[in-house]
Formats: sequence, structure tokens, C-alpha cells
Amino acid sequence: MRGSAPTFDGLEPGDELGPLTIDLGGAFVRDHAVAMNMNAGRFTSDAEAKAEGLPGQITPGNMSLGLLARALLGWLPQARLERIGTTFRGLALAGVPARIQAMVTEKSDAARRIECDFWMENEAGDRLVIGTATLRFPEPSS
Amino acid sequence: MPFEDIDRSVIGEEYDRFTYAPALASELIEYARSLGIDDPLYRDEQAAKSGPYGGLVAFPTFVVKLRGGTWLPPAVMKHMTRDGFDAGKDIEFGAPIRPGDVLTATSRITEIYEKTGRSGSMWFVVFRHEIRNDRGELVANVDSRLMQRSRAPGKEAS
Repeated sequence: MRGSAPTFDGLEPGDELGPLTIDLGGAFVRDHAVAMNMNAGRFTSDAEAKAEGLPGQITPGNMSLGLLARALLGWLPQARLERIGTTFRGLALAGVPARIQAMVTEKSDAARRIECDFWMENEAGDRLVIGTATLRFPEPSS
Repeated sequence: MPFEDIDRSVIGEEYDRFTYAPALASELIEYARSLGIDDPLYRDEQAAKSGPYGGLVAFPTFVVKLRGGTWLPPAVMKHMTRDGFDAGKDIEFGAPIRPGDVLTATSRITEIYEKTGRSGSMWFVVFRHEIRNDRGELVANVDSRLMQRSRAPGKEAS
């Protein structure tokens, strides 16, 4: 994977990264919420979420953030994540696949950094999370 | 609670300083596992020794697990209700977290502001957890943005 991933020199503004589709299964979401000590019923149980007036078990924003970072570093494993910013716009329901995609928006050859826009959307194409990230690539070995 | 009633004097003041027990390799691995991450940099102590950090490190967003001892100052917390939600995060990453690191988070409110949309008035509170390791290195600045709908007096949830 590391060998076949895009290199810094091969990236240009406008390049798309992904998509990556992740199955946000109820057990996956619950497992992460428990690992994060976020035991609120809305994150761990469909029934408890509905009792709170939600449409069903939801994915914690922190999990969406982690999955977006996972996608970025999965596509660009040589890079280091320097900054990430997210806006949570809608509920990411458990049991519904999420599609993550990104686009390179800026590149600095001097700093070996790229800027990306990214988003997570549901099957209907609703953008549930949007954001930007800065990734830095190591100096090429001589 | 009307937006005007929120005490702005809390902005900029450190309201929490929390030092965690030394980071365990097992908790760093557990975090990566719970996100479905397979990369041995974050999952395998032996394999990570030959990686760019010379050992296991936390997956970067592990820092959101470090929520401090007091989430929000009481002067703000008392205005939050169950329909408030996490509106987003901005994270600047510094040194990676390694097993054995002793991390300290200091917390401050950085902004409180109001917006009005189709569904009415809402206010936002932004708070920063600045996380440093026991070598004094910045590990992360985690800025969290919470949104709370403004409510008429007497409508606050318990």
C-alpha cells in the first residue's frame, strides 16, 4: 500500500482522493463509542437513540473525525497529518454506509505540504461532515 | 437561556488542567483498532520499530479522547441542554503520542458567539484543549465547537 500510494510529486491541485466507503454498522459504532468512554445511549443503541427523539443510533462526531483521518492517511500513508478541521452538518446514522472523498486544493512545493477538502456523505449524497486538512510529506531521501 | 445572559468573563481563562496517567500501548492500539485501522504504525509495537517514528505511536486523532477533567466551566455548562451538539473540531497536531507519555491538557474557552438561521437563534462555544507531553512538547491544540439553540426562559432541559 505504501509503495503504490500517490507521492508528493505526483499530486496536483484538483486531484481526487478516494472514495472510501465505510459500513457504519451498529456494532462498529458502539465498539468505538465504548473505547472512547462515550457511553451515551444515542451512540450505543438504536432503541435508546429513538427514545431521545433521534431517528436511530448515531455515529459520534469524534468517530467521523477519526474515520476521515483514517481515509486521508490511508490514501497518503507517507504524509503526516498536521491539521484537520471538520464541521458536522448532519447525523451519521449507524447501519448506513458512509462515503468519504477528498480533493487536493493547494500544494506548496517549498514546504512539501498539501491542503485538502474532504467530505463524508450518506447514500443519498447528503454531506454529513465537511472539512479541510493539511498534510506534510517527508523530504525525499537522497 | 438568552445568549446575552452568558457570562463572557470566562473567555480566555484556564478552567481546567488535567494530567493523565502514562499512555499505555494497549489504549493506543485499542483506539486504532476501534476505527478499523490496520497500519502497523498504530497497531503493532514490534513492526512499528522499523517505521518512521521508531516505535508505536497513537493514531493522530486519539487526542480527541483526552477531554480533560472538567469538560466546560460551570458558568457555561449550566446553559447547555440535551439538544446542544458537537458542531465540529479543528485540531493542530504536534509531537506524536508514544507509550509512556504523560500528557497534560489545559482548557480554555476561546470564543462564544451567536448566529441566527431559519430555525431561530443559536449560540456557539469554542473551547481549546492544549495537550502537552512530559517533555513540554505540544501534542495538539484541539478546538471543539458546540452549538446550543437559544431557548425562551423556563425551557431549559434538566
